[in-house]
Amino acid sequence: MIIFISGGVRSGKSSLAEQCAKKIAEAGDSLHYIATAVRTDEEMEARIIHHQQQRKYDRWQTWEQPYDLDQIIPIFSNRHIVLLDCLTNLWANELFRDERWHIEEKAPRIVQQIKKLGDQAKACIVVSNEIFYDGIPHEQGTYAYMRGLGLLHQHIVSFSDVAMLMRYGLPIVKKGRWPCGAE
Amino acid sequence: MHFVSGGAFQGKRKWVNAYYSLTHTPHVWHCAYEQPFSFPNGHEHATIVVLEGIEQWIREYFFPYTTREKEAIMSYMYAWERWEKEGRRTVIWIGCDISQGIVPIDAHERAWRDVVGWTYQQLARICNRVDYIWCGMHEQIK
Repeated sequence: MIIFISGGVRSGKSSLAEQCAKKIAEAGDSLHYIATAVRTDEEMEARIIHHQQQRKYDRWQTWEQPYDLDQIIPIFSNRHIVLLDCLTNLWANELFRDERWHIEEKAPRIVQQIKKLGDQAKACIVVSNEIFYDGIPHEQGTYAYMRGLGLLHQHIVSFSDVAMLMRYGLPIVKKGRWPCGAE
Repeated sequence: MHFVSGGAFQGKRKWVNAYYSLTHTPHVWHCAYEQPFSFPNGHEHATIVVLEGIEQWIREYFFPYTTREKEAIMSYMYAWERWEKEGRRTVIWIGCDISQGIVPIDAHERAWRDVVGWTYQQLARICNRVDYIWCGMHEQIK
């Protein structure tokens, strides 16, 4: 199962995603958190600590994987609920890892990885950001980044069971059923 | 007329192509990112016309976005509306939503954003259908 959650900055995406994961988890299931942030500055460090502390009291296991999801995919099975937070970091890390910025090669690879995660785990929850409402950027790197992220969003939503847009802490269900695709 | 909007890179073009089956339906596609929009005359034999990149078209041809330019934008849109009514025709407008970012410091950028929002409101009013695309999915808002 794949659940896609997107929204603006500080809209409550991460906490909705965590709530969602706990709701899906049954006795014996474990919760896994794929952290994608690279520690770059103090603000980022503080943000990471904030998220870590929020998860501390629950039974989350954290995997720091800023890129190459392939390396950890084999770990997961249908007793695992996987939360990927967030796609925007992962995409930036992958796209700008080398000088090539090759969208056509890199975006489909991530799409396949997420599909695989969704097939293998009980549920894969993907968190991303809405950054598409400021026009088309002129700067080449930003253009490549946004176009690629837009493509990722479209592809992931096309095979997601649930797609939600978060606004001010309120989930707007765009596809499937909330909570978490329960029939 | 049909107005299709949504954020950048959300699949607006793809959706219009699929919705109107354009791969096997004759149509004329004008893209403001590549060439200026053209006028309805010369489209006597067309039945579907797509005008993509409204915000870009405005940016290039309607500076400094005063009342005079707004009137020109309006009369251009009405010309296409008349063209549509002359036969069994459809005009599809595609415009990128640029209204939800940070208010730009630069006065020109701000004025552009403003006139684009104004134009979209006019379009939404005169079109009989409006769709908003998010992640390739459409939501009919009119």
